[in-house]
Order: sequence, then structure tokens, then C-alpha cells
Amino acid sequence: MAQNVRESSVGGRPGAPLAAAVSAWVIYLFLIMPSLVVIPMSFGDKDEFMFPPESLSFYLYGQYFFESTWMATTLQSFEVAILTTFLSLLFGVTAAYGVVRGNFPGKRFVTLFLLSPILVPVIVVALGLYLYFSTLGLSGTTFGLVLGHTVHATPFVIVIAMAGLRHVDPNLEAAARLMGASHVLTLRKVTLPLLKPTLIAGSLFAFLISFDEVVIAYFVSNTTTETLPVKMYSAIQWEISPVLAAISTLLIVLSLVICVSGTALQKDDEKGE
Amino acid sequence: MIFVAPFFLFMGAVFLLPLAFIFYTSVVADAFTLDYYIKAFTGALYLRVAWTTFEISVVSALTTLVLSYPVAYHLSRQPPKRRVLWALFVLLPFYTSILVKSFAFTVILGHNGIVNDILRFMFGPEAGIKMLFNRTGVVIGLTHYLIPFMVFPILASLLAQDPVLHRAAEVMGAKPWRIFWRVTFPLSLPGVIAGTLLCVILSFGMFITPALLGGRKDMMMANLVDFHIKETLNWNMASAVAIVLLLLSSVFILLLAQVRGGQLFGERH
Repeated sequence: MAQNVRESSVGGRPGAPLAAAVSAWVIYLFLIMPSLVVIPMSFGDKDEFMFPPESLSFYLYGQYFFESTWMATTLQSFEVAILTTFLSLLFGVTAAYGVVRGNFPGKRFVTLFLLSPILVPVIVVALGLYLYFSTLGLSGTTFGLVLGHTVHATPFVIVIAMAGLRHVDPNLEAAARLMGASHVLTLRKVTLPLLKPTLIAGSLFAFLISFDEVVIAYFVSNTTTETLPVKMYSAIQWEISPVLAAISTLLIVLSLVICVSGTALQKDDEKGE
Repeated sequence: MIFVAPFFLFMGAVFLLPLAFIFYTSVVADAFTLDYYIKAFTGALYLRVAWTTFEISVVSALTTLVLSYPVAYHLSRQPPKRRVLWALFVLLPFYTSILVKSFAFTVILGHNGIVNDILRFMFGPEAGIKMLFNRTGVVIGLTHYLIPFMVFPILASLLAQDPVLHRAAEVMGAKPWRIFWRVTFPLSLPGVIAGTLLCVILSFGMFITPALLGGRKDMMMANLVDFHIKETLNWNMASAVAIVLLLLSSVFILLLAQVRGGQLFGERH
């Protein structure tokens, strides 16, 4: 019963009671359970599910790298994600700059419109693009996929960039403008260098969103432009194969790297508040 | 304004126009018709799927709330440095592909899955429970997906509370449980409500989880759209269902905007 009087200093927050801490730990375990199961499984050496595996091998990784079209779809995902990252960073940072620094009639409404893809169900966006692209002849093209993923990822980049821009002192930009620099030069020489952590965090996030996106890709791609998540989706649906454990492990590592570096970058941001 | 223009135009061409295409397809077959909407609002299949969608969304959002509160509470009581580390447990699943999670759950929850193996080991060969390709599987998968979206709004409203309030209640002799229910929890309600609404909105449009972890009876509206596009090739009906889904979500999006004082995405002007 003494657990709730762990105040370290005056005005500090009280510690969590033991019951709350224990239930939180159980839920943390639930949250990382998929990774805890999939990673050991990926080192199994047979074409069947074994948890825990009887012996360790890289057999399933070999299957991923050399068999079926897994590698081709992975490369396709990389291509789409890299192009999407580039486009959404370009659109997202400029739009965020306009919203945070600019003042124009209907700004609130315009901002809501630009961010709305975050809350509109992805299936609706996917269906819209499916119908639209079949009229335009863009169905099944990599270009169409990139356009779709850019709509999906840019709003998140805008949110990140808006938060980052609020930590950049507008006076620095004003000073540059006063010294005769143009809008564009100020953006290039003052604002963007100061925004560097935000830009890196934004591109990592945009990359991951596109790389993992499945619903839009499922509707827009065809067999020649299939991305990794789309192939995984049909693999889980029709013939769950253990190679999925190896792929999942690699995707978990990718998420972990992006998650940890993103968190580290945003910690710098918080210091400003 | 000039900086906003590029993405504004892009959104017009690649977001608004496609939405207009859906709307057009939902009311024009050979000529103007409301048949598809009439079907969407009266057909047994459509009513059932809409109800399933609503039921799964609400149940998942509430399960998520129950599981997220202890996590948010635990995080809010950590010193800042340790909080960042604990938060990784919530952030990692947030950043993990939904396909990885769905695949893992088919392995964990399946007939010969890990949970059933443990149950049979402990309670004999009859102890297995069906948790995959039914409602349970969908709710477990969705809850796992939604927890991060619930934890962070609640955490924000817990951290916004002045610790002095807690100390004042303590000094006045209130027991911890009473402090929680009379001070901490009521003050965290804005986060609880915002998080719950967000989770309902996100579940409404869910596609992957019900498709991979649910059974035929757990089809949600997004799966119905897919069914009409890929199997019955009825684009008009798919569009009408999508518009109904969009309208349903909009109701909850507006509610969320109301709760957050018009700042839907935490944008401060």
C-alpha cells in the first residue's frame, strides 16, 4: 500500500500504483506479442509452422530472397515508396509552410481539406482512385500507385512539418527577408536547414506509410505492379506459408529502425516547448 | 497561399475528383437512378453488414479503451526519460505493418495456434477455443491495431493535469482509489472521448483485419465494397456502399471535431 507515495520532489508526479503498473505490463506484452511470435518462427527450417522452431536456420529467408516473386514485389514497393516520399515531402513541407506562416481567407477550411485524407476511410480513397484511374488509363501503373500513396502520406507529412515549423523562430526568417533575401531564398537558406530533424522524421514516416500501404495498392496495382504488402495480403488469405514469418521479421526490423529514429528526432523538437 | 497551392491542386485532382467519380457512379448507371441507395438502405445484406460494422467498431473501441487506460496511466506516472522508453512498446506496434500483425494473429489464435496449444496443455484436449475467422478474431486484431490511437490522447489529458491537484486530494485524506475516480479520471475525459471517437472512425473503414481474421459473417462495409468490385463487378453498388460509409464516418468525424474544439488534427492557428 506504500506504492503510491513515491513522489521524488515537490510538485513531481506521483508514481503508478502497483496494480496499474502490472496491468500495463500485461498490455505491453500483448502489444509486442506479434513480434515475439513471428521473429523466432522466421528462423525455422521447414515449410511448416513451428513455434518455437526446433532448430535455427535461414531457410525461410533464403526462400524470401530467391523464390517466387517476393523480391520483385519488394523492389516495386521500394520504388513506389521512394517516389512517394519525394513527392509528399515536397507537397507537405510547402503546404505546411503556407499554413503556418501564411494568412489567407479560408485558411482553416483549406487546412482541414488538405488533412482530410487522414480521417476519410482508406477504402473510399482506394475505390475512388480505382474508378478514376480506369477512366484515365492509369490503372495498374506505378505512376498511379505513387499518386495514390502521395494523397495518403502527404497529410501526415504536413502534420509533422507544421509541428516542426512552430519551433522555428519566425524572426530568423524575418531577418533574412529584411536583409533582402527572397521568399524562396529564405526558405532554402534559413527555414529548411532549421527544419532538418523534421524533414528526416517526415520522410521516414512517409516512406513507411507507402511501403506498408496495402488497400490503395490492392485496388490500383495489377499483377505486374504488385507491391510487397499486396502479395502478402493474398498469401495470408490463400496459402499461409512460413516464408511470411521471415518477411514479417524484416518488416518489424524496418519499423523498429524508423520508430526509434523518429522518436529520437522528435525528442529534439519537444525541448522547444 | 502560393505555398499551399501545389498540394491544394494535387488534392483536387487526385482526391476530390476520385470522390466525385464515386458519387457519380453511385447515382448513374445508364441514367440517373437512386436504386443503389435504396438497396443500400433496405437490402438485408447491406443492413446486416452496416450493423456488423457498427457493432464491431463500438465493441473494439470500448475494448481498446479498457486496455489503453492502464497503459496511458502508467506512462503518465513515469519520469520523462523512462516514459519515452516505455512508449516504444506502444509506438512499435503503431509502426508495424498491419499485415505483419494479421499474420501473427493467424498463428497465435488459430486452431493449432499458440493460445490453443497452451489451453489444451493446461485443460486437456477439449479446451481449444475458436478465435480465428470469427468475431473474436476481428475484435482482438482491431483492438491491437487501435490501442496506440487511444493511448496518446488519454496520455495527453493525463499529462495536462496539474500534479498539485493529486497532492491536494491526498493531503485532504482521500484514498488513492477515490483520488483516481474523483480527480484523475474525470479530468482525463476529454482524452477518453476523443480517443474513443477516433477509434470508432478508424474501425468503420477497416478492411484488412476483418478480411484476414474474420469469417464470412464478419464482413464489414469496406469488405463489401471490395466484394462488389472484385467479385460481382457491380461498380455502382460498390460506390453507393462507399458513399454511405463516408457519410457514417463523417458524422463521427464532426463529433470528434466538436470534442476537440474544431482542431481535428491538433493544428493550432
